[in-house]
Amino acid sequence: MRLSRIAVPMNQLVQNAKQWIDRNQRRFGMITSIDGSQLVCVMLDPANGTAELWETKLERNSYKAITNQLPQAHWNERVLFDMFGIVPEGHPRLKHILLHEQYDPSLFPLRRTALPVQSQIDRKFNFLEVKGEGVYEIPVGPIHAGVIEPAHFRFSCLGETILNLEIKMGWVHRGVEKRLTEVPWRKARYVAEATASDTAVANALAHAIAIESLFGAELPARAETLRTLALEIERLAMHAIDVGGMANDVGFLGVFHNLSRLRGYALGMAQALSGNRFMRAFIMPGGTREFDNARTEKIKTLVKNMREEIKPILDVFEDNQTAKQRFSVASVSKSLATEFNLVGVSARACGIEYDCRRHFKHGLYPQMAPPIVVRAQGDILARTRVRVAEIYSSMNLIEKLINEIPAGKTTINLPDTLPADEISLGIVEAFRGELLHLIVTDEDGNIARYAIKDPSANNWTAISIAIRNNLIADFPLANKSLGLSYSGNDL
Amino acid sequence: MIKLLSYLIGKGVATQRKPFPKPDADVWGFPEVTLAPCEGAACNKCVTECPTEAIAITIDGDKPLLSLDRGACIGCGRCIEVCPTKTIVPNRTYEVATVTREDLILTNSGKKKVDEAKRTPRANLHIFKESVHARVVSTGCSACDAEIGASGNAVFDIERFGVHVVASPRFADALLITGPVSKGMQEPLRRCYGAMADPKLVIAIGTCAITGGVHKNGYTEANGADSIIPVDVYVPGCPPHPWSIIHGVLVAMGKAKPYIHNPETITPELVAVAGASALAPALAPDAAADASESSAAAPSEPSATAPAPTSDPSPELPETESGPEDAKSEPKSE
Repeated sequence: MRLSRIAVPMNQLVQNAKQWIDRNQRRFGMITSIDGSQLVCVMLDPANGTAELWETKLERNSYKAITNQLPQAHWNERVLFDMFGIVPEGHPRLKHILLHEQYDPSLFPLRRTALPVQSQIDRKFNFLEVKGEGVYEIPVGPIHAGVIEPAHFRFSCLGETILNLEIKMGWVHRGVEKRLTEVPWRKARYVAEATASDTAVANALAHAIAIESLFGAELPARAETLRTLALEIERLAMHAIDVGGMANDVGFLGVFHNLSRLRGYALGMAQALSGNRFMRAFIMPGGTREFDNARTEKIKTLVKNMREEIKPILDVFEDNQTAKQRFSVASVSKSLATEFNLVGVSARACGIEYDCRRHFKHGLYPQMAPPIVVRAQGDILARTRVRVAEIYSSMNLIEKLINEIPAGKTTINLPDTLPADEISLGIVEAFRGELLHLIVTDEDGNIARYAIKDPSANNWTAISIAIRNNLIADFPLANKSLGLSYSGNDL
Repeated sequence: MIKLLSYLIGKGVATQRKPFPKPDADVWGFPEVTLAPCEGAACNKCVTECPTEAIAITIDGDKPLLSLDRGACIGCGRCIEVCPTKTIVPNRTYEVATVTREDLILTNSGKKKVDEAKRTPRANLHIFKESVHARVVSTGCSACDAEIGASGNAVFDIERFGVHVVASPRFADALLITGPVSKGMQEPLRRCYGAMADPKLVIAIGTCAITGGVHKNGYTEANGADSIIPVDVYVPGCPPHPWSIIHGVLVAMGKAKPYIHNPETITPELVAVAGASALAPALAPDAAADASESSAAAPSEPSATAPAPTSDPSPELPETESGPEDAKSEPKSE
């Protein structure tokens, strides 16, 4: 959707934001900057399917941190510090998050305006130290034992119990946001997809929607249907392997191996739809790649087989007493989930009814959105059950849509130059949750700022909350249940 | 548990028995370069469309020389869509891992001359012939990691070839690297490599690990693993298929032959598949007009006509499996 700048003075920002999120399930989207001379807040209104963009001019390169009143901003403000050199004063844990010690202390990659006063940025990362008799630290990573992306976890433990977990991210920071302002916009989609390729469809879709709304373009029904199918196939594949991963972490290998085999069915659907297992380069601004209707039969067969074969496995898994017991830990309360702005499966497992498919227009949503799956307990079991229910709802939706692919065009023409001085936002419910792509164009119609808010940027805090006072042996399981993306967060 | 056991027994064996099957017809695949003469700079469509500058057209004697670097290619397929001469067609094999960086560069000028000595890997290969223990270091977007994970599943089952993924570099023989190795991961990668005992193998998996892909030459210095540690085997793909990853590991072990581009072996069938509906032109907005005239062999024309005839939902796009009439449509190497 297209957004216009609403000026909010610095001294009213926190108050306005607090009022906003207190009303009618409205949400805080993100806080960032365009070129370093202002703060912008994206505020979401799910009930009406709209959003606002608040702009606060900065006179200095520092301001009073909003994290103390709005905890959900805490990582966003650290990113402002790293990427723009803007110092949120009074931030309780101000340290770098994306750029490590090896980067030049004067490098602020996204800053376009000169720094008013050269601030001394210390890129050293100081872990929170937990002191007391018998407290010890376990450092883990950045390279992990399994086949997984890198991050460093610092556990402070007493005996087997975790007292505190601090996470050092940024290892896979590749400069995606900067690169998206450097390439011609027609080629930007490949970079947007590579933000986190397990979420390639959602990223491509959020990117496409943001670009299309700059032009005010409406898409043919065929393209919207194909996009919705792609998004649901991605969700199905990833939920299947995420549930399988949890089975693996409790030693339930029969379930794990079958779910990873059955994920292959979803990848087969992806391949039939797009020619690629990850549906890379399928969605583009203006539509999708052409789809051969003859391939619907293959997808129908695959989804039918998957439904038949996955049900007994999921039933066995859900009924298993060992799994249930292992899964009844690492819970996050609804109040903390609200305070830290959790999204996606992690939020719905805490009883928060938020699924962008029900609220914001993308693909065939909200018309075709399945009912929101909510569980109240907030623990690993609840997250597993939300995923299992969504596996079924995704299969239902795929089965329905595959019979209803409209004929017609899959693409529309878009002009070569983006409209000047416009702002637009793409909101998509990725399989992990709310994904935002924000595009700001300059006076020549070039992309001046491209901001991505991956669902994991909200949810990483949840692992620190969930694992506190739990056993260290439960960490891999708790981490898996939250299904966090490292590259999506690190950009 | 009884239920699970009976389910497992009922399912039988899921593993693909024959290694390296040909890709299904619906697989888009990586680009392959044929001997078909290229129109050169007059056309230049693939060069302008390529998002990673993987394609270059130069002049070789009197005819245009097209060279395509799979090490930079992210497999978006735009070049295949816009190529009017079928110089670039979809690749029909998963065995794409190479031992030298040069072997990833394909040209339309016939078989490449590469010094055979260069194709012999550094490490003393025969000791890894039966089994390797591999350590995976991810520095990227998780797609390649997911495919490494998939190569270990019941369908592909990399373990049957003697490949085990291990949890520490101290007992690893091979290092599998994914992702572009941006500044954050350069030192951890060096240390991981340093912690491995000699002799050791390094396999760069995916386009990012080879050149940095879409991330290269930025402020994060994400230019692939090559500049950080020596690489023995390159597996192109974005991400590579699990069979390609297995191929890469087997090449490193000395159990499989590396890919060497030889356009003379590209059969008419392959070109026929290239013209089949697997490649119905995705009429990207700016290329719509070009594609409808240039892809004469592409049977489907979903948006070239008025809406009326296409409103029939029944699948009527011709599904050319390898029809003889298509096979002869592109004679070559004569």
